[in-house]
Amino acid sequence: MQKRLLAILLVLPALTMIVLFFIVPLFASIVGAFEIGDTFGLGNFTKSFELYSKDMIFSLVIVGISAAFIGLFSVAIGGYLILGENPRAVALLRWLYRWPMFIPFIVVGQVMRTFLAKNGLMNNIFVSLGLLTPLQTVGFLDWRGIVIAFVWKQTPFVTLLVAGAMASLDRSTIEAARNLGASRLRILIEIVLPQIAGTLLVGLILSFVTMMSVLSVPLMINAQSPTMLTADIAFRINAHGDYGVANALGMISLLLTAGVALIYLRQTVRERS
Amino acid sequence: MALSAFLKVENISVGYGATTVLDKLDLGIGKGEFVALLGSSGCGKTTLLRTIAGFAKPFVGSIQVAGRDVTQMPPDKRGMALVFQSYALWPHMTVAQNIGYGLKLQKRPRGDIEARVTEMQNLLGLSGLGNRKPGQLSGGQRQRVALGRALAIDPEILLLDEPLSNLDARIRLTVRHEIRSLQKRLGITAIHVTHDREEAMVMADRIVIMNAGRIEQQGTPEEVYNKPASPFVAAFMGAENLLSMRAKLQSDQIELVEGEFNAAAVTPQSGRALTSGAVDVRFRAEAARLARSGDRTVLDPGALELRGQVASVSYPGGHWRHAVRLGDHEILVDANSPFDQGETVKVRIPAEALFIFNTAAATADAQPH
Repeated sequence: MQKRLLAILLVLPALTMIVLFFIVPLFASIVGAFEIGDTFGLGNFTKSFELYSKDMIFSLVIVGISAAFIGLFSVAIGGYLILGENPRAVALLRWLYRWPMFIPFIVVGQVMRTFLAKNGLMNNIFVSLGLLTPLQTVGFLDWRGIVIAFVWKQTPFVTLLVAGAMASLDRSTIEAARNLGASRLRILIEIVLPQIAGTLLVGLILSFVTMMSVLSVPLMINAQSPTMLTADIAFRINAHGDYGVANALGMISLLLTAGVALIYLRQTVRERS
Repeated sequence: MALSAFLKVENISVGYGATTVLDKLDLGIGKGEFVALLGSSGCGKTTLLRTIAGFAKPFVGSIQVAGRDVTQMPPDKRGMALVFQSYALWPHMTVAQNIGYGLKLQKRPRGDIEARVTEMQNLLGLSGLGNRKPGQLSGGQRQRVALGRALAIDPEILLLDEPLSNLDARIRLTVRHEIRSLQKRLGITAIHVTHDREEAMVMADRIVIMNAGRIEQQGTPEEVYNKPASPFVAAFMGAENLLSMRAKLQSDQIELVEGEFNAAAVTPQSGRALTSGAVDVRFRAEAARLARSGDRTVLDPGALELRGQVASVSYPGGHWRHAVRLGDHEILVDANSPFDQGETVKVRIPAEALFIFNTAAATADAQPH
């Protein structure tokens, strides 16, 4: 009996933290999503869908496209790190690719804003190289800017996971394919990728959740409509003090990420069976 | 042999970075021959195999297959297939997909691939396992899938990198014979890397013994076993008993000078390249015979007789193994019946079981060939 008490006592601090700072706020937010004045109902959700259904789709599409590019680039970089035959290029890439990981999203947003604007650095370079005239320049400060910022920031993180998984593969599985005449691209797609697919999926899902929750990048790059749900939540609270709709929007993005997490859980269960 | 060789390795030097693993090595292998590269770990045998396969590039030298220079060719253009020590099966593909992958890469029609995969599965006793993943197979089955994958593309040369080292001891014995009979049936040229002497002996037509990046000796199993060309080969082939003696050479006879534990003995030179002076005498535990100290049987001509005390007796199976003390070191001698511990015995080594080499310092100018 005393032992059990001690065990509960030991767990208590951690449990208190979780209940106090995680479960209670989450629960309050969920409850708040259904609160309209003094009564409960689905009003906040109908309002959310009326006003922001476009933004929901926009968020999903932006994050989905970003995740696709992140997957593509991380596999390409990881693949070059393991299959590249020029040791100097491999070393350089290994050294370079991680840097964006250490730059905060807000800084990424700011950097991209000055780089991608209509009269930004990128277009200035194109103009000075004679590739474009100043009249032909187009700003990228819309959904494309968000995608570029997300991909730029999240690719290194997924690459880190993917490259780690690739490095721990049995190298002779790659050599066996080379021995039978597979090109490096085929080895990457048919031999390496299937063996690290689980790790790639985990990386992409973590990135998906991260990107769904970034506020600074859409605010800095694309403040017009349509925008991402995070910007809408901030707007409902800052401009209207409308916590009900903000909570409803929060719950909707939680459900969207939960959907992705479900895919992940199913995958791991299938792999273990 | 070297001129008509099907696979010819000429003067290759291979290394990683600043270290040289193989130095100016030559090797010729005939068509349909089964050659074992035998040596302890780190001797360069796997590096040699990987260089032949095209996974390591030599600094200098050339590799030719049927008169065709393949030194700079990628692994798949050499007409060779490698079976890896870890099998290197692709875990996400089924047995059939693993075996058929090489054919898929060659863009063969699907029907052909299926037929060939079935043929391979039947040949290797993998029928009915085509839809399994490698993770669902036993070690022996995985090994056969790896073999099937290599053989499916119908290579001219099969390269085996310690393919049996991950198998249980009992399975290993049967797989040895399976691989050997398969190789004979298909008439394929095979190079087999191993550190297991017995494995090399029972499988290979010819054994190439390697040491420190060089070929120490090559020949039929019988030749390298009975006529080791160097102390290393003698020791590697099981002649672990070592005696330091002095020898005098006179007209095709070697006189082993009388020592503390032996009377003088004269044995025929039989083509051995020796000079008078300090020699190492090596012999196998099973080649020597034990006799009681009172035994008056006449010594066979050319045999060496030693006197010592039995220090310990053990029974490894089939015969009794005796550690016989000669002064401050011991030799091992087998006998069909046990002798008592502490008993003074005679150890008789017949002429053909004596491997005599000049000791290291003296061999510098008289290299045995």
